[in-house]
Amino acid sequence: MCYNKKGEKMKKILIIEDEKVIADELYDLLKNSLYEAFILKDFQNAKQEILKIKPDLILLDINIPFLNGELLLQDLRKESNIPVIMVTSRNSETDEVLSISYGADDYITKPYNPNILLLRIANIFKRMEKNLNTSYYDDIKVYQNKGILVKDDKVLDLTKNEMIIFSLLLSNRGNIVTRDELMTELWNNEEYVNENALTVNISRLRAKLEDFGIENAIETRKGQGYKLL
Amino acid sequence: MNFKKYLLDKFIEILIVIFGYIIILMMLLAFKIPSQVIIGITIVFSIIYLAIILISYFKRRGFYNNLINNVGKLDKKYLVLEMLNEPSFYDGEILYQVLYEINKSMNENVKQYEMSLVDFKEYIELWIHEIKLPIASLTLMNHNQKKKIDKRYVEQIRKIDDYVDQILYFVRSENAEKDYLIKETNLKKVINNVAMKNKDDLLENNINFLVEAKDVMVLTDSKWLEYIINQIVSNSIKYIRNEVDSIIKLQVEDLTNQINLHIYDNGIGIPEKDIRRVFEKTFTGENGRNRSKSTGMGLYIVKKLCEKLGHKIIIESVQNEYTEVIIAFSKNDFYKMKD
Repeated sequence: MCYNKKGEKMKKILIIEDEKVIADELYDLLKNSLYEAFILKDFQNAKQEILKIKPDLILLDINIPFLNGELLLQDLRKESNIPVIMVTSRNSETDEVLSISYGADDYITKPYNPNILLLRIANIFKRMEKNLNTSYYDDIKVYQNKGILVKDDKVLDLTKNEMIIFSLLLSNRGNIVTRDELMTELWNNEEYVNENALTVNISRLRAKLEDFGIENAIETRKGQGYKLL
Repeated sequence: MNFKKYLLDKFIEILIVIFGYIIILMMLLAFKIPSQVIIGITIVFSIIYLAIILISYFKRRGFYNNLINNVGKLDKKYLVLEMLNEPSFYDGEILYQVLYEINKSMNENVKQYEMSLVDFKEYIELWIHEIKLPIASLTLMNHNQKKKIDKRYVEQIRKIDDYVDQILYFVRSENAEKDYLIKETNLKKVINNVAMKNKDDLLENNINFLVEAKDVMVLTDSKWLEYIINQIVSNSIKYIRNEVDSIIKLQVEDLTNQINLHIYDNGIGIPEKDIRRVFEKTFTGENGRNRSKSTGMGLYIVKKLCEKLGHKIIIESVQNEYTEVIIAFSKNDFYKMKD
């Protein structure tokens, strides 16, 4: 079992993809994003392998040898509810509807923006966790859907954009989050802000946190991004 | 069938008969046959011949009138044989057999083309799935690079992907088969997908992307619609005006009978002389020639896809002011699929 820097158990993700280059690149992508990644080698006994590895999530291609992805998914669903994201180059509504009806949790077509793939993965894990909307930043309670931070009896209101930014920084605490990642997260939440607005939002968030008594919480790494200390 | 023309056609035959009758008449007169008998023979002879002409006329009239009428009424005229009874006269039978043979050979010929077209389409779809793999690999490799990735690479890869999609949707739009699936789709989600796809381009060009949409469901194929909106937004990005703060605004208007999606931009607009032709195949117009290389296929495919999905699409523009595309979705429950 692998643990990350914070001592939390790392999520296991299984890559089922017969295109070796893509499988390897996905592996690196997931590793860099602090997941524990596996690549399925034995397609003939895919289901047994899956049940042996017991991943937290599966990235499943449709065009794989032996059983195709859809059949494998149907077969797997008889025994397990492991979240599955279909990742495929088949870009048609019929394939998507079929996959979802077989029990896929999400459907992404190749080529995808890697940031979006990571986001979708994170969303599935977030959905699975019970404490969806509250998390902690040291002794401060963060209510994401209410958009507030609470410390003792003090309350700090954040706007929707500020909350999205703060949450992403918080879930990657101690690591650098790039501007592009922040932008992707904002846009994915239908907040189509531009570069200036992002800068403004971050400096406003900083000022608010400072007023709240959290000083220098967000560090700027020039040319790289931001880090929540 | 016209009786006069039919008689005219039988002119020589009738002349011969009349000539024969005159000879017989002369012979009868030469043998001094009583005039009552001659009159009797003449009447019987005339009736018999008239009957022969009428019977053969009506036989043909039935068959040919049926043929002419059906050909006139049918919109696929080659199917006329299916609606005819086999005629009861010899020349008609020959015609019927020959038509049948012609039809059969034509069908085989068409079938052959159809098959090769289907094969071609299947091959294209297969090829597109194949080409998407290296594109996906490149995208991932680029992302995993340790060094800071050059955005220009990502941009070029995205262009390749767009061109590949263009072929895919061209094949889909040209094909007679129904390979789309209409179901209730959240318009906001489709817009979000398009936004995510064009995010880098929009930010790079300092374009303000504004969306005014409630959660509204439309009946469509979400993949096709995504392609349609993406094409229009790409055009808006391509034809921005440098003198102003660029805006692309997507607005959803919920009416009683329909839902309208407005896609507005304050770009260079379309010259008045070109606007009526923008949906034509390979039409490039002034903008396409002057600004950037244009294939003239984008909006043509968009229009075809809209027609197939049953959406109305209108384009309005004033040069150097704005362009606005409106897609209208009808609120008809007819297509609804329960999932």
